[in-house]
Amino acid sequence: MHRAVMTADHPLPETSAPAEAALPVAQAGSLPPGMRDRRALLMRLLGTYGTIIVLALMLAIFSVLQPGTFATIGNFRNIINDMAIGTIVAAGLTVPLVAGDFDLSIGYVASFCGLLVVGLLSSGLSIPLAVVLVIALGTIVGIVNGLVVSKIGVNAFIATLGTGTIVVGLNYAYSGGIPLQLTQSREFTRIAIGRIAGVPHLVIIMAVVLILLWVILNRTVQGQHIKAIGVSPESARRAGVAVDRSRIVAFAIASTCAAIGGVLMASNLGSGQVTAGDSFMLTSFSAAFLGSAALREGQFHILGTLIGVLTVAVGNNGLAMIGAPIFTQFLFTGTLLVVAVALGGIGRRFARG
Amino acid sequence: MAPDTLLSLRRICRSFGGIQALDAVSLDIARGDIIGLVGDNGAGKSTLIKILAGAHDPTSGEVLLEGQPRKLSPPAEAQRLGIETVYQDLSLIGTFTAAENFFLGRELAHGRGPALLRWIRLKSMGDTAIKGLDELHIDIPGVRSKTVERMSGGQRQLVAIARGAFWGHKLLLLDEPTAALGVRESREVLELIKRLGAKGLTIVMVTHNLDHLWQVCNRVVVMRRGRKAADLPSSATNMEEVVAYITGAKEAMTAAAMEAGA
Repeated sequence: MHRAVMTADHPLPETSAPAEAALPVAQAGSLPPGMRDRRALLMRLLGTYGTIIVLALMLAIFSVLQPGTFATIGNFRNIINDMAIGTIVAAGLTVPLVAGDFDLSIGYVASFCGLLVVGLLSSGLSIPLAVVLVIALGTIVGIVNGLVVSKIGVNAFIATLGTGTIVVGLNYAYSGGIPLQLTQSREFTRIAIGRIAGVPHLVIIMAVVLILLWVILNRTVQGQHIKAIGVSPESARRAGVAVDRSRIVAFAIASTCAAIGGVLMASNLGSGQVTAGDSFMLTSFSAAFLGSAALREGQFHILGTLIGVLTVAVGNNGLAMIGAPIFTQFLFTGTLLVVAVALGGIGRRFARG
Repeated sequence: MAPDTLLSLRRICRSFGGIQALDAVSLDIARGDIIGLVGDNGAGKSTLIKILAGAHDPTSGEVLLEGQPRKLSPPAEAQRLGIETVYQDLSLIGTFTAAENFFLGRELAHGRGPALLRWIRLKSMGDTAIKGLDELHIDIPGVRSKTVERMSGGQRQLVAIARGAFWGHKLLLLDEPTAALGVRESREVLELIKRLGAKGLTIVMVTHNLDHLWQVCNRVVVMRRGRKAADLPSSATNMEEVVAYITGAKEAMTAAAMEAGA
């Protein structure tokens, strides 16, 4: 709480007066006066609104460069639809991140669940049963993660790397490393591809998951406890919070969302791919960290993660639209992530100083 | 045991490995007492507080709460019995408001069952916290809107003590409540402790600042090398004598004298 503030290490342009006025949380009285004050405010501003500023700038620039293709309703519908599955997985990951835990297994869980649901359908299970079983499997993996981390005390990073690798093993044991085609129950693909009143199912499911997770984190006792242990597990424990149970619930939520993502991915592809979900791990972490520099400095939250996914999606889409080569998308995402997290972290340090 | 005795410790010992942190400590805490617990580093103050808070079990000895033998551990049990502890680090969640901190672990909520299905009543929590602070004449702006990490150290300490007083209807334990505070903030905290005492709350407070003993406490308990070296009404002693007990220049009372004095 009492970290030294070394403003001189960050030679940044001074912020203008309106920027100060625009920051309602400023507590000018408790900060040293003058330039230091203004720099601290700028850092807080960037840590709080950095990702949103980048998103707004990109929307403006790409709209000017490609008004006919980028700035169209059809294109935005595509962007939202394409990012829906990734958003569900990333929003799920946000919950253990809020609790102060990492989950590296989500991508592998998504892959295996996507493959398994196709396998189960091919062996004749009904669609609802196959879907429920696979999502339940995801929940169980999450509970195992939570138990290993909280009861055995294995570092979450290592524990979920381990369980994730075991899930990869199960995946190969089940599939032999060969993709599964959806031979029966073709209507399974309608889960992802269908529309209600013109709105794609994927977008509706994404919205429902986001709202549900937001409500859990912000309006339930469980969410309050998850947030508290993310800040100080010891203080939460002393106050009577069931720390272990809260961590387990958080892991279960992340893994359940990964399983939902895997099922939707299989439905979207019409097949079960062995590694199709693996990349969700990195994209989810990127989105969640970008989101930690949106609206709340240095804190993970559901709306932030949505903004994070949207920022990456808009950036990649816009770069493709202006004809930039593929590699620029990776350069863009990587740079954005590092800068956003650095600003978020710095902003937070200033806020606490 | 006098009828107004709230809690009695009887010959409490506690050892950690080979180290005897507490050696046959007996202490009667009367209702309404504000006891200042002093002593050098390693004298056993913290261990004694942790026994009372339920964070440690005594190795031997007995704890009587209102005449009944009780086990105070784990801390949740002590809390259930009405004993609250304000630790030196305050144990507040920085990103929560004062109201949210007040109710952490004891949230007001609609519904029953698992925490996942219980809907927190933020408004009621805010209202109750504001009322609770008002009753203690604590004036902190933004109880339900300002996160405590944006508050001053003094305000945080007031929030932490008020939370303890709100839930600790029997006994409030304070571990160095003025340690990290400036002069003005210390005075505010001491004023609050006095008001809590005036309301009849029983308080045991660890302090390094001996001036505070005469500002708020009615009793002084001096610990030295795991033993109770002195237990005196603060009106009947002075700085010189307390320091003498702390440093060992003046020897501990005999066990018999201690029993009689208590």
